[in-house]
Formats: sequence, C-alpha cells, structure tokens
Amino acid sequence: MSKLSKLFMALSVLSFAVPAFAQGEAAAGGTNWVAIAAGFSMAFASGICALAQGKATASAAESLARNPAARPGIQLALILGLALIESLALYTLVIIFVKVK
Amino acid sequence: MPEQLWFTEILNRLLANPVTALLRAVHVEPKHPAAPISNSFAMELLVFGLLLLMFLLLRSRLSVERPGGLQHTFEGLERFIHGQSSEIIGHHSEGYTAFLSTLFIFILLCNLLGVIPGFESPTAVPIVPLGCAICAFLYYQAQGFKHAGVGYLKHFAGPMPALAPLMLPIELISHLARVLSLTIRLFANMFAGDMVTLVFISLLPIVFPIPFLVLHIFVSLLQAYIFVLLTTVYLQGAVGEEH
Repeated sequence: MSKLSKLFMALSVLSFAVPAFAQGEAAAGGTNWVAIAAGFSMAFASGICALAQGKATASAAESLARNPAARPGIQLALILGLALIESLALYTLVIIFVKVK
Repeated sequence: MPEQLWFTEILNRLLANPVTALLRAVHVEPKHPAAPISNSFAMELLVFGLLLLMFLLLRSRLSVERPGGLQHTFEGLERFIHGQSSEIIGHHSEGYTAFLSTLFIFILLCNLLGVIPGFESPTAVPIVPLGCAICAFLYYQAQGFKHAGVGYLKHFAGPMPALAPLMLPIELISHLARVLSLTIRLFANMFAGDMVTLVFISLLPIVFPIPFLVLHIFVSLLQAYIFVLLTTVYLQGAVGEEH
C-alpha cells in the first residue's frame, strides 16, 4: 500500500473518537474550556518570557565580561529589559485572574 | 460586613459615620455603610502616617556635624535617585529627585507591608498602583509642559510634521499604555506574590513558604525601583533635549 493510503487509513481511525463529543453536555456543567486555555496560555507566556529573559541576561553577562568598566550602564539596561519582558508575561496572568472563575 | 483587618476595623469604628456622610455628599453610596473604608485604603493611610512620622523624626534629627543613621540612609537614597536621574535625564535633574524618591519610598513601604501578618499590601489591589501610575503620568506631562510650554505638544507629532496625523493617535495610545503597563506590572507582581504565598502556606505552613516570602521581598524592592526607573525614562522623553 502506498504511504498516502496508509495516512488516510490512520486518519479515518481517528473518526472513531467522535462519540466522545456527545458526553460533554452530559457531564456536570461541561468542561471548563476557559481554565484549560488559561493553563496553556500561561505556560506559553512564561516559557517565551523565560527565553527572552535568558537572551537578555546572556548578552548582559557577556558584555560585562568584555567591558567591566561599563557596569552601571549594562546593569541599568539589564534590569530595565528584564522588568519590561516580565511584565508581558504578567499581562497574561492578569487576564487569567479576570476571566477564569 | 466585609472581612476587615484589625487596623481597618479600628478606623471604621472611629470614622464610619463622617466618611459615609462625606461620600454621600458627593453622591457616592458606599457598598457597606458601616464600613466605608476599605482594607487597601486603610493600609494606604497607615503607610502615609508612618512615612509622615518618619520624615518628621528625620527633620528633627538633621545635623551637619554629626549625622545619624536615619540621615545617612536618606542621604544615600537621595544620592542614588539623583545619580540615576542625572544619568538618564542629564542636566538639571535635581528638581525631580523629590517626587521620585517619595514615589520610591511610598511604593516600597506599600509593597513590604504585606509581608507582616495582620496587614496587607495596598498595592495588591488594582486601584492603588493605578493611583501611583496616574500621579507619575500627570507629573511627567506637567514637567514636559513646564519645560517647553505649549511646544511640548510637538512631542506627539513624531519626527516629521508631515507624519503628524499618523503619529498623533499612535503617540496618544502609547502614552496611555504607559499608565496601563505601570499599573499592571506593579499590581500583578504583588498579587502573584500573594497568591504564591497563599498556595504554599496552604500546603505546609511551617518552613516551606520562607523562600517565597524572601522572593516576594526581593520582588517588592525590584518593582518599586522599576516603577521609579520607568518614570525617570518617561521624564527623559518629556523634558530631554536632543542636541
């Protein structure tokens, strides 16, 4: 059998799971999609914030090693940059606290 | 009756009737007429009272020949804020040091108050950081107008006069977004610190929450500093001159 027909057979097996949608309303109150989305979005925001802060810190450490005399300026730029990046992740947290019951 | 801290209860017992009458005179109906002063407002008043007492004490102990510890501390703070603002703004930045250092001490004390049991941080409710952000916003706009007169409005027009219709809404929105970001940054940091401490205290109240309280104290210091640093940067945008 060709690769394409194997792919279609695998996808068609997934349609066996469709009856699971019917049980959503039968459960008490239904699934809380807002909470699930909140968890994923906070994880996303924190992860990307950590990446950005890591890049900023790495660059600051390297430039400090190259030129220790410029410490005040580098320190200022580092702290300012870290706080601004942190606040972006915090906006997500605020939305979560506003929207999730 | 809402849940009140002991200090709020004392204030409400003493002042509930005059405060409710005052609020009703300006057509505001308090949610609980027997307790019109909220926790955060009572804590803010406490911070205000403590700072006033501290500054009065400092004033009475000022000395040129033999400065005491309190004077050294405040001189160090003033030197720090002045050094930072002269580095960012440049010339003639002495006039701004008073506002910036007061803002720093106020926000720092508000943040740290929540660590003491029986008190809560006023900055952990959204309205208090909004008040600080609006004060900072009005201050730097006023300094901009004082420095350049009506010519301050040229700042909103962008680099070229031809681009002004495009830049004006963008600049207005970016200035208003500064208020929003200052507020949410301070509020969310304090609120998240409270939440994390709550979660870990509910898990194990004895030793486990200590690292999180230390982190909260560090974050309190850092967020007060960041607030003042950003206000200094906005001041530089308002009064700084390009040579």
